[in-house]
Amino acid sequence: MSWISVEKAKRLEERFGYPKVSQDKSGVVSVEVPKDKFIEFLKFLKEDKEYDFRMFLDLTIIDHGEKEDPRFQGVVILFSPTYQYRIIVKTWALDETLPTLTNLWKGAKWAEREAWDMFGIKFEGHENLVRMLLWETYPYHPLRKDFPLEGIKDTYLPSLNETLRGDSLEGLFNYDRMHTAIPTMEDLEITQKKRMPVKTSQIVLNWGPLHPGTHGTIWFLFDLDGEYVKQCDIIIGQLHRGVEKLGENVNWQQFIPYTDRMDYIAAINENHAYVLAAEKLLGIEIPEKAKWIRTMMAELSRINSHLLWLGTYALDLGALTMFLYTFREREKIMDIIEGISGARFTINYFRIGGVFADLPYGALDAIEHIIKDLPERINDYETLLTRNRIWLSRNKDVCIITEEDVYDYGLTGAVARGSGVPYDIRKIDKYDAYGEVEFDIPVGETGDSYDRYLVRMEEMRQSIRIIQQCVAKLRKMSKNDPYFFQTPDEKKLKVTIDGRGMKLPAGEVYASSDNPRGELGFYIYNKKDGLKAHRMRIRSGAFYNLQVFTKAIIGRPIADAITLLSTIDPVVGETDR
Amino acid sequence: MGVKKVGAKPQTLVEKIFFLDFIKGLKTTIKHLWKKVITVDFPYEVVTPPPRFRGVHGLRTVDGTENPEFDSWVKRLKIKPPEPGETRCIACKFCQAACPVPELFDIQSEKLDVPEDHPHYGLKVMTVFNMDLSKCTFCGLCTQACPTDCIIMTDIYDLSSYTRRNWVLDKDMLTQIANEFASRRRDEKFDQHSQWREDQKLWPEYDKTREKLWDFNMPKLGPNYHDQTA
Ligand code: SF4
Ligand code: SF4
Repeated sequence: MSWISVEKAKRLEERFGYPKVSQDKSGVVSVEVPKDKFIEFLKFLKEDKEYDFRMFLDLTIIDHGEKEDPRFQGVVILFSPTYQYRIIVKTWALDETLPTLTNLWKGAKWAEREAWDMFGIKFEGHENLVRMLLWETYPYHPLRKDFPLEGIKDTYLPSLNETLRGDSLEGLFNYDRMHTAIPTMEDLEITQKKRMPVKTSQIVLNWGPLHPGTHGTIWFLFDLDGEYVKQCDIIIGQLHRGVEKLGENVNWQQFIPYTDRMDYIAAINENHAYVLAAEKLLGIEIPEKAKWIRTMMAELSRINSHLLWLGTYALDLGALTMFLYTFREREKIMDIIEGISGARFTINYFRIGGVFADLPYGALDAIEHIIKDLPERINDYETLLTRNRIWLSRNKDVCIITEEDVYDYGLTGAVARGSGVPYDIRKIDKYDAYGEVEFDIPVGETGDSYDRYLVRMEEMRQSIRIIQQCVAKLRKMSKNDPYFFQTPDEKKLKVTIDGRGMKLPAGEVYASSDNPRGELGFYIYNKKDGLKAHRMRIRSGAFYNLQVFTKAIIGRPIADAITLLSTIDPVVGETDR
Repeated sequence: MGVKKVGAKPQTLVEKIFFLDFIKGLKTTIKHLWKKVITVDFPYEVVTPPPRFRGVHGLRTVDGTENPEFDSWVKRLKIKPPEPGETRCIACKFCQAACPVPELFDIQSEKLDVPEDHPHYGLKVMTVFNMDLSKCTFCGLCTQACPTDCIIMTDIYDLSSYTRRNWVLDKDMLTQIANEFASRRRDEKFDQHSQWREDQKLWPEYDKTREKLWDFNMPKLGPNYHDQTA
């Protein structure tokens, strides 16, 4: 497990005196520091060569409940690219404020805005602390423990209700007449003005939220000087469904269907990150067969996701045929996933403790069939695009993301690898069977859009390699090998496929998986043994990757926005959660 | 640690002058020009969903295939022993407890109104079973929780409707769906408590439409593991 060793962390204790180091059973090492020393301490961690926590991963808040004093706690997760380990730094947010981290890592900007939005914690020194996901005039902070799950129903909205032949339908057959607040046009206008308080030029171009090129509901604001972008901001949240809040209010296995709906393109990988975190907190080791099945399915899903990315990306840049070709292969992969799990899109196949069913008869044959076919197809795509002069001029040297940006903004996945940083959780954490399979991490050279394209193409080939190894390994196993965790003692540790009566112990855990869209991490904080999480934080790779858009687009012509967005490849379900 | 560098090579002069990039691309296009159509002409053609498909729910009836614990569950919950053809549901609400959206269920049971000397005195029957499928995530957790294999998911996926009311299925509707499903696809078997039959196929092999999607080159389904038999 890639956490800083306790001994090394204890040396911090000796050096400064004030940090309190603790290690959870799950392996997480966290350091608590007083609020007034917070920035000084983080600065040291970032700049000291011996610790070298240059990379920002996540910032969030834990609400300990209304009765606690102090109530809110800030949590920062950092990573060291040199030593390949993580650390958690915590501090109490006294008076509901915290000092800003944006002077150390620019990537903290959105995370702080989200913390303000969801918890009402003010960050002193933040350049423009506006809401992240909700609109500016919204009066509540929904992730606080005193905010009810169903929201505060203060708006009368009968228009949504249904009447059939004159009589209104009641109960299960209809909606309530009172709803939670929704933004009006004025609210949206205020929100937009607040996001970009100073205009530098004549034209502010709105792109989205319902533009096909934005691949979902993202609302871009471009401050344009002629064709060139001078300033940019992004308004997201149109697809915000409060998944973190739901995670704190449903049982453990019951949360998996909700993770499906975050990054719906790669639902399997979302399930994967969540079950990894929960298993680590539970402290169980899943059966060998489940590990290999999960690894194989996760890679299949990665190819599936990259095919969609390639198709839509090429479509946006004008290569329509590509879309049809990639969707043909995608269809086959979805067919296989459907046969194995019962669903094409919202898959819900993984469980805490393994998978819910063994592979059906013929599954491995179908997978072998497709991975034999795929390399040739990928070559086909490459002959159409890679050397094409239009493709080259639309992608080469467009919107360069530097290595510095990767650490500053916490970029992960293909975006980080395109900039030459071999950051891959599959290699760092070696979760499930990734420690035992062979594959390479593709890295780019310049960090332009073309490199990100090449990296993803190569990733597909590496995924095929991994699947080959998984199939070979699974072939050697027996039909009687368990695919789900079998508890030695039902009374002490209950793990059920349907999730009823399953409790997770007190503690904290951060675990992540390498999603097609970056590092998806789950930070779970459990106060006491419980059926539900106390705090469920989702570190979305797409959210942090999207943030760099606002920087990489500056000084580029507006047409590059399409290229950049496609090569960052966010999925709005995951950025908004 | 395996790291593989990928990087751009600039276009060579020969490539540029002779438009080699375009010619190569055209080659791929022409290769595809002579292929057969692979799209399915929905709704005139449909693909048969695989046995594990998670579609609209159904409530199974007693038909002699109940699991060995069925009678003890009936006794424990003081349910009137169902006759063949009556629902298997014992109103235990396990499905509701396992559901991520529990409010979509409305399950009620009632004591039978019979005189004291009747053998069914004091026993209950399930009277209301409403499911609001507009709130359902089709995750399948309810089917895995049901102790009597009563609630199943069928292969029906087209549940669009003009009013919200039609998305709420009651117990008669659900029973009918399950009965029809059973008569349609009995031998492929449905989920029993997540214990799937080992020869259950990835897809139904009698389905010829699916071949189209696979370029008329379907994989041949065989056993996964060395000790598996069809
Ligand atoms: S499929 Fe899932 S969401 Fe739907 S009723 Fe069953 S448990 Fe609930
Ligand atoms: S779990 Fe099965 S038996 Fe129990 S209430 Fe639901 S459908 Fe009926």
